[in-house]
Amino acid sequence: MGKVLKEWIFTTDHKRVGILYLIGSIAAFCLAGIMALLIRAELTYIGPTITNDPNTYNVWLYFHGAAMILGFQIPALTGFMANYFIPLMIGAKDVAFPRLNAFSVWLFFMGIVLALLTFVVPDPPDVMWTGYPPYSVITTGNTALYTFTVLLIGFASIIAGVNFLTTISFMRAPGMGWNKLNIFVWATGAGFIIQLIFVPVLGTAVLLIAFDKYLGTNFFDTTTGGDVLTYQNLFWFYSHPAVYVIFLPFMAIIFEIVATFSKNMVFNYKVVVYGGIFGIVLVSGEVWVHHLFVTGMPDWIRIGQMVTTLLISVPVGLMVIGLVGTMYKGAIDLSKTPMQYAMGFIFLFLIGGLTGIPNAIPSLDLHISDTYFIVGHFHYVMAVAGTFAIFAGVYYIFPKMSGRMYNETIGKIGFWLSFIGTNVAFWTQMEMGLEGMPRRYYDYAHLPQFESDQMVMTVGSILIGIGFILALGNWIHGAIWGEKAPDNPWGSNSLEWTTTTPPPHGNWPEIPTVDADWHPYNYKKS
Amino acid sequence: MAEDTATHEDHWDTSSAPLTISVGILFLCLAFIFYFVYDSGMAAIISLGIGTPLIIGGIVIWVNEAIGEEGEGLSVPSMGWFILAEAMIFMSLFANYWLQRLMTPDWPPAGTPAEMPVLIPVIMTILLVTSSFTIHIGEDKLANDDKAGFIKWLVISILLGTAFLGMSLFEWVHLVGIGFDVTTNVYSTSFYSITGFHASHVLVGLCIFIAILIPALSNRTNIGLVKTGALYWHFVDIIWFFVVSQVYFW
Repeated sequence: MGKVLKEWIFTTDHKRVGILYLIGSIAAFCLAGIMALLIRAELTYIGPTITNDPNTYNVWLYFHGAAMILGFQIPALTGFMANYFIPLMIGAKDVAFPRLNAFSVWLFFMGIVLALLTFVVPDPPDVMWTGYPPYSVITTGNTALYTFTVLLIGFASIIAGVNFLTTISFMRAPGMGWNKLNIFVWATGAGFIIQLIFVPVLGTAVLLIAFDKYLGTNFFDTTTGGDVLTYQNLFWFYSHPAVYVIFLPFMAIIFEIVATFSKNMVFNYKVVVYGGIFGIVLVSGEVWVHHLFVTGMPDWIRIGQMVTTLLISVPVGLMVIGLVGTMYKGAIDLSKTPMQYAMGFIFLFLIGGLTGIPNAIPSLDLHISDTYFIVGHFHYVMAVAGTFAIFAGVYYIFPKMSGRMYNETIGKIGFWLSFIGTNVAFWTQMEMGLEGMPRRYYDYAHLPQFESDQMVMTVGSILIGIGFILALGNWIHGAIWGEKAPDNPWGSNSLEWTTTTPPPHGNWPEIPTVDADWHPYNYKKS
Repeated sequence: MAEDTATHEDHWDTSSAPLTISVGILFLCLAFIFYFVYDSGMAAIISLGIGTPLIIGGIVIWVNEAIGEEGEGLSVPSMGWFILAEAMIFMSLFANYWLQRLMTPDWPPAGTPAEMPVLIPVIMTILLVTSSFTIHIGEDKLANDDKAGFIKWLVISILLGTAFLGMSLFEWVHLVGIGFDVTTNVYSTSFYSITGFHASHVLVGLCIFIAILIPALSNRTNIGLVKTGALYWHFVDIIWFFVVSQVYFW
């Protein structure tokens, strides 16, 4: 037992580091999900429902947002999935720097520990996940905790980025050219490039808040010549590209699943990679100002940023066409849980993406900004779609990872509950937003017309919760009591399924080589 | 998943360094929080006392393990990626500084001393540029298997870097003494944060050199590690040109 524990906490193996990432991010997901349910419970009725203290509600909002993005989605995608898939997909024995990899996962865990201190310390942070000054500087809440949580998790993702970009560049199996990489490897690599460019800016921004608050500097203090808008610019300069850091891997994992379950070559492979993925990298850094449309700026900046924001839909469109085209004339198997999640993902992502287009246009955005419409939009396009993709990915890799099968029936019930719940909750939310319900309100006594809609939303959120709990329970049950899984249960052509289940230390006895007509999505040759 | 360790005979690679350093860093964060948020100097000192040895111990373990490995020679290109990230930190500080400078009508703002130091930054520039050359000579010596020469030039570089930090510190003390500290105005805020960030990078570079020097004294060297550390040092050197030209002489 002691040896097993030591081999886990001191591990430098990429698969185990990945599983540690998964455990940490699922823990963050559960806590942040509980926060979401508490928020919903509070809003179900007008007046104080389960707490009398608006500050407590603020802390829930803070924890829900910060933990879902920084603790769940980014680590689950660029931590767990990148760790588990990339070395297996490119045919490497491990990542380039195994110790650095372990360092990254433990820094992430320390960030989670700091985030958890929110519930223990007096004066917990109450600055949302954005930490806007001047509030974050003048609040009595513990902004330092927020700063260090962001710094540790940010630094973890920087060193993960360094590690994986080196791995992808130099450790591909003999014979594997750039055009034979899985979409997931491309997209996650591109996501890491975005991380390396933009995370340091976020780190600097939150550090400057701590300087302002605790050392008395004047960065964001307007009375001494500082500028609050600088923070918003620095913050969104990272935090808008951050959605592409989430978007690229989750889109790519859906590509893997759709190609495998359609037994088809990815449609327009080169267009998806060079136009879609790298188009997003190119445009991602030029759109952040659309988060500041209401904070005031010259019209020519608004117009320019509207154009760049709308441009984002071009590479995203190329990727969606690639997804749908992959299924065309394929041998589609809709009966498996990962594929169902993938289909649900496409549906949710399209609704979220299409409701994003009006947000990009300042004349409309000025009116719907800071309403439930925005909240509904980003929950569709990023929050729930991303979570569906992560769950699809975990279901997909589950047999390889644990060596056992999950229960298909429970998996599908869980999917449908959370799928229906999502649409009930967030469609209602978008409607409420269009009718004028502002976001972040603790109480809405002056807006009594929304009470019935709020109740509908709460019901939806409970459905989502049950669906996700079923999925989590399914994994735990499957990992312990499931049937033994074969080496390649989905009949995929990709390299990660050629090793034994579960993969041993070093992945393969010898590094695999691929021949000239091999391609991860080439199902035609056999 | 515990059982696959039991069924597989082969052992899994482990290293205690990453977890040790991470816990150390957590305690450093806690020390900051105790001191600044909860006004508890005692708890801060205890946290520092736990965190610092953990970090140093972790680094010692790490270097000990890594220095014997041949590796795949990938650390130099990976340092390139890391430098991209580091450069962005300075970019955001400079962006903030430039914006404030352009938006403030009368620059320098009230509270700035009439004469900012000129001689000291010039000497600091000379020191840092020289150290970049000396570490390069040291690297060449090691590539030609001249270990004594390598150690000599490495020590010279460390001394030059330390002198740089010492002058930086001297200058800060002097400026704070005449009433120009971080809280004075927007210029002082940017001045100290940019020079401070740069100095912290010099400090990290020196730590890397010391981590190379100590094993080198007992004849254990790793050319990849030296090249990576030197590359980082050159980057710190180049950033200094931006710092000195923008913050001191503009």
